[in-house]
Amino acid sequence: MIKRIEDWNCYELLNVERTASKEEIWEGYQRALATYHADSLATYSLVTEEERRLILERIQEAYQTLRDPEKKKAYDLSLLKHSFYYSPKAPFRKSVRKVEIEEAAHKPGFWEKVRRLFSRREPPSD
Amino acid sequence: MDTRIWAVGGGKGGTGKSFVSSSLGLHLASLERDVLLIDADLGGPNLHTLLGMRNGHPDLGDFLTNKLPTLEEAAVETPFRGLRIIRGTENILFIANLNHYKKLRLLRQIRQLGAQDIILDLGTGSSFNTLDFFLSANPGIVVATPEPTAIENSYLFLKSCIMRVLKLYMDHYRIPDLHQKMLDQIEKNSQSLYSFFKSLVDADRSYGTILYRALRNFRPCLIMNKARDERDVLLGRSVADVARRYLLIDLHYLGAIPYDERVHSSLRSLRPFYLDHKDSAAAKAVREAAEELAYSVEFSHRTPPEIRFPEGR
Repeated sequence: MIKRIEDWNCYELLNVERTASKEEIWEGYQRALATYHADSLATYSLVTEEERRLILERIQEAYQTLRDPEKKKAYDLSLLKHSFYYSPKAPFRKSVRKVEIEEAAHKPGFWEKVRRLFSRREPPSD
Repeated sequence: MDTRIWAVGGGKGGTGKSFVSSSLGLHLASLERDVLLIDADLGGPNLHTLLGMRNGHPDLGDFLTNKLPTLEEAAVETPFRGLRIIRGTENILFIANLNHYKKLRLLRQIRQLGAQDIILDLGTGSSFNTLDFFLSANPGIVVATPEPTAIENSYLFLKSCIMRVLKLYMDHYRIPDLHQKMLDQIEKNSQSLYSFFKSLVDADRSYGTILYRALRNFRPCLIMNKARDERDVLLGRSVADVARRYLLIDLHYLGAIPYDERVHSSLRSLRPFYLDHKDSAAAKAVREAAEELAYSVEFSHRTPPEIRFPEGR
């Protein structure tokens, strides 16, 4: 999915990894400032003044967040909360193919449980 | 045989497209690969001169005027082992304004050529012919220099490529409303491509998926030629970053080729610079870029699968 500039997170704005050190964050910040500076050739004819102002503001915000260890920690946590969570056990797999369903562990149904409760015999294996 | 089609383009003249094409060709040929250079600069061909050859027949024009039945027969040997060339024609007026069917025939024949690496040296400007040659190749390399004029024209070239890709995609999947919307907003209201994308995605998130699907196969590369200092090298990186954000394409930065005074003197003596100064920083940069692309799996697909050229325009 295409991300708009408003949706870029602090790390993406500074073009650094999430594991980046303080020095790498500083370098990323300097590079981003140089890229979007008013005299920069890289934005020549492509980025409007309004867009430049917006992204420079966002870059400043991103650096202010990431330079402070406390703020960075809170921000990293918030990123984790907002990222998609996939349950390791899929209790109801609707769209998987037949092969995967067969590979999934057998789960006894309601009537099977009732039968197990009231009969001494082992339920017939299928 | 696994054939790879390379295209070297970019909007502005004098950025060194032919220099990059000829150096790429010479380096790939030195790796024992079978290389064919095609001078697809229909308006001003001069690739043969960079290889120290004279103009003559057969050339591309002989194929386009049906004097030769196949494009393969227009290829001639160069003085360098493993490297062949299809020269551009002197009959410019006829060839520069190639009609649609001739272009399709040429593209089809290029795909059928028997060579491991086919390098298209494209002309300046963003005409449909140049764009279609660029889009039919993989990898496509944009050559820019660290000057505002070259950067501006490179962006213009990339934007034209994107519009062309979107048009082909929308034609193929029959989404005419979106195409009309694009034409209305960009061409009539002179809206920037980024704000058009933005307004489109704001109106309906599913349009974002359509754009993403259309553009994900367009992955051009960038070379910053004639770099004089560290700032120029970093400029290429910044351009790739800006293109990623504002044009929504994955522009791959191959690095910078340092400015070298001796290119001019090599040209004067009709000798390829790449062979005369193999140890220069410029030759080394070309080698690195060529090898990065030649051995990458990413660029092994010749034609992006989603792009099919329609029969009529």
